[in-house]
Amino acid sequence: MSSSRIEELKRQRQAKVTKRGSQSPYAIVVTVVVSTIYLVLIKHNIYLSTFWIIGILIGITLQRSRFCFAASFRDPIMVGNSSLFKTIILSFIISTIAFFMIQYRTAVINPDYLLTDIPGQLKPVGLHTALGAILFGGGMVVAGGCASGTLVRIGEGYIMQVVVLVGFIIGTVMGAMHFPFWDSILISKAPTIYIPKYLGFFPALIFQLILLGILYLVAHWYDKKNNIMTMQEE
Amino acid sequence: MAEYTLDCLYEACPIPLLKALKQLNKMNIGDILIMHTDHNCSIIHVVEWTKKEGHYIDYIEIAEGEWEIYIEKAK
Repeated sequence: MSSSRIEELKRQRQAKVTKRGSQSPYAIVVTVVVSTIYLVLIKHNIYLSTFWIIGILIGITLQRSRFCFAASFRDPIMVGNSSLFKTIILSFIISTIAFFMIQYRTAVINPDYLLTDIPGQLKPVGLHTALGAILFGGGMVVAGGCASGTLVRIGEGYIMQVVVLVGFIIGTVMGAMHFPFWDSILISKAPTIYIPKYLGFFPALIFQLILLGILYLVAHWYDKKNNIMTMQEE
Repeated sequence: MAEYTLDCLYEACPIPLLKALKQLNKMNIGDILIMHTDHNCSIIHVVEWTKKEGHYIDYIEIAEGEWEIYIEKAK
């Protein structure tokens, strides 16, 4: 949506912009380097080569889509915009179905499966989960990005995010150092809850999908209902 | 029909949007705000938000990774 005055300003400004050179040579050089590393890794370590390609694909997706975990949880509260939050819910729905397929295999092969047999990150849940979430959430909003967002922006050339990365590394190292403490007072006492163990695999899948669907609808309603201007008029 | 400029270079997300929001509240209908930013999140973020608010908006890239966003307050 544009107005005639904006069009006029744009036209004036455009005339002053010097034409930029093509970036294609850089793209070709980077593609060659990436492919070379991939081919070298295939010869030496098939796992590393797979990780390399998956990492590159995730990086491209994150950069091009401007997918930002920090913004997805911050914007609904700050500006009443939940479009990124809805994206997160959608990706949860997709990964729920995909993880169901992966984990269901384990249960079919061995009906008396242990929680440690299940692929994925099954961890104890408790007070430490909430504490960690508050620390991480507060930090990512102040820093202007979560882990992936920070890395993407460093790649784009934001110097400020390098400072964030340094802080991130310091925090991670300190967290690892203090882990035995948290483990002894909270984590080791907390239960690991795996819903399929209680409900069975299919009911758990349906239950989680319904829950995510409700969350999506709530986010959609919230987006329609809320924005800063209407809040100020009221 | 005044014109305002807003320097948002090197600001972290979401400062450009907050600055724009503050400035827009001070402006009259028909005034134009020109934002200068190097944050490509702003292109999506500010544009989406402004459209939702019902203002006129457009932007151009003025250098590698630098943009000017034009907002005309419509209501």
